[in-house]
Amino acid sequence: MLIPLAVMVLFSFWQKGPFGLDRTFSWSNWTRLVQGGIYLDLVAKSLRIALITMLITLALGFPLAYFLAQQRSWRRGLTLLLVFMPFWTSYVARTFAWLPMLGRTGLVNYVLLKSGVIGQPVTWLLYDEGAVYVGLIYVYLLFMTIPIYLALDRIDPALIEAAHDLGAPPLATLCFVIWPLALPGVLGGCLMVFLLGFGAYVTPALLGGPSGIMLGNVIADQFGAAYDWPFGASLAVTMVLVIFLLILLVRRWIPIQRVFLGTD
Amino acid sequence: MRDRGLAGRSPHWVLTLYAVGVYAFLYAPILTLVLFSFNNSDVTGLPFKGFTLQWYWRALQSQTIRAAFANSVMLGIATALIASTLALLLGASFRSNFRGKQLVFNLILLPIIVPGIITGVMLLVLFGAAGILPSLWMTVLPAHVTWALPFAFLTIYPRLYRMDRSLEEAAMDLGAGPWTTFREVVFPQIRPGVVAACLFSFTLSFDEFVRTVFLLGMDRTLPVQFWYMIVEQLSPDLAAMAVIILVVSITVSLTGYVVVSRAPQ
Repeated sequence: MLIPLAVMVLFSFWQKGPFGLDRTFSWSNWTRLVQGGIYLDLVAKSLRIALITMLITLALGFPLAYFLAQQRSWRRGLTLLLVFMPFWTSYVARTFAWLPMLGRTGLVNYVLLKSGVIGQPVTWLLYDEGAVYVGLIYVYLLFMTIPIYLALDRIDPALIEAAHDLGAPPLATLCFVIWPLALPGVLGGCLMVFLLGFGAYVTPALLGGPSGIMLGNVIADQFGAAYDWPFGASLAVTMVLVIFLLILLVRRWIPIQRVFLGTD
Repeated sequence: MRDRGLAGRSPHWVLTLYAVGVYAFLYAPILTLVLFSFNNSDVTGLPFKGFTLQWYWRALQSQTIRAAFANSVMLGIATALIASTLALLLGASFRSNFRGKQLVFNLILLPIIVPGIITGVMLLVLFGAAGILPSLWMTVLPAHVTWALPFAFLTIYPRLYRMDRSLEEAAMDLGAGPWTTFREVVFPQIRPGVVAACLFSFTLSFDEFVRTVFLLGMDRTLPVQFWYMIVEQLSPDLAAMAVIILVVSITVSLTGYVVVSRAPQ
């Protein structure tokens, strides 16, 4: 993992020449990246999309995890299985599934048309930033729900009983007893979803249209259609650096290893 | 099931209603896809013009799709076998302490954190620099193994870790060699974990796209073929193809889930 990264850093200081690679050292890729602000804006936009996705999946995932943790015996098995199942399959297929949902002849338009809410099919459902959020939340909800569920499941019932016996209303129990105990799971889920969202490629490419483009798509373009590997390398190194800095930052609050093992 | 934590407190009806809503959100696109895949219409969408299997026939008869499907299955099997074997070896060595154990552990888990697009282009540049031409077996297989390995490791290792050491020691004391001990004592205990690791690795490989698309060269896997068909033109047999992908990977994963949950802890 370190060797490829080193090769990437090296590449980012080379150029695309008329006959392949020009292997002379230069900062030109990096000045191009910083100057004009297009690419820095792109990084900022990707961070923003990742952050909003993270907050919405948290708002959706926490109650779901709470619901799962309240289930007993076979019902727990079944509700958990139903949450897992959609995530056991290709994210390309799952993202694609939103095209016939949101498209012009899709289900949402059909229902709205039939119910008389709209007179003409609407096209703004797809190919913009909004569609990217729908796709990202759909694909990453599990990664928020499961860490929170595991944290909630570990809470000692005696603590909840105690809060109840001492006269705490349910909301206070939730805020001052359950939420702090679930926090490791919440932070773990947030980190996971944020990283996945920041590095997204498939979802913005399929659902985002021109306005929904993210950093991952521009990196892919440099290694595909644009065929500018050195510049692509500098963008990829930027993405890795941002992730690395982020992990360094949150390491103080989040035990990274526990996030992935789900145990101590 | 243990009765602790929040379990047993029956959910508020609002919460249950909410959960039903989330399940609807999770399954609506998939069910819509299944519905559209049987729709006798040239456009993927509504209105529903009658039941047909023609899109499935068209997808299954296409030479390129069949070749891509075969590639994906072979790649998945190879990834499953290699990743699980490596995970088993790593898991076995992790039972004793050695210097740099923490570092190796973090390195194994690294591919989970690194975005797929980064892994994809990094390996492309690395293989390019090493002069290895992109192909299914030379570049995609290593990429899939590094991707599946952390998950296979996390499936097998907890079982190895919890295993009772005295059984092995007893076998050794009774004169069994290391290989016999492994085959007769260790492996039967961790078999469900190994089988599940194989199945999960298979689906991870079978479904993988970003870590594949840059490294394929002229070959195609099923998700990559599917992707090009979406990007080039939205043809009506795409829904049927998506359903085929869904059915294969969910069946394999579900089998893995059953193997794990049936196994005695």
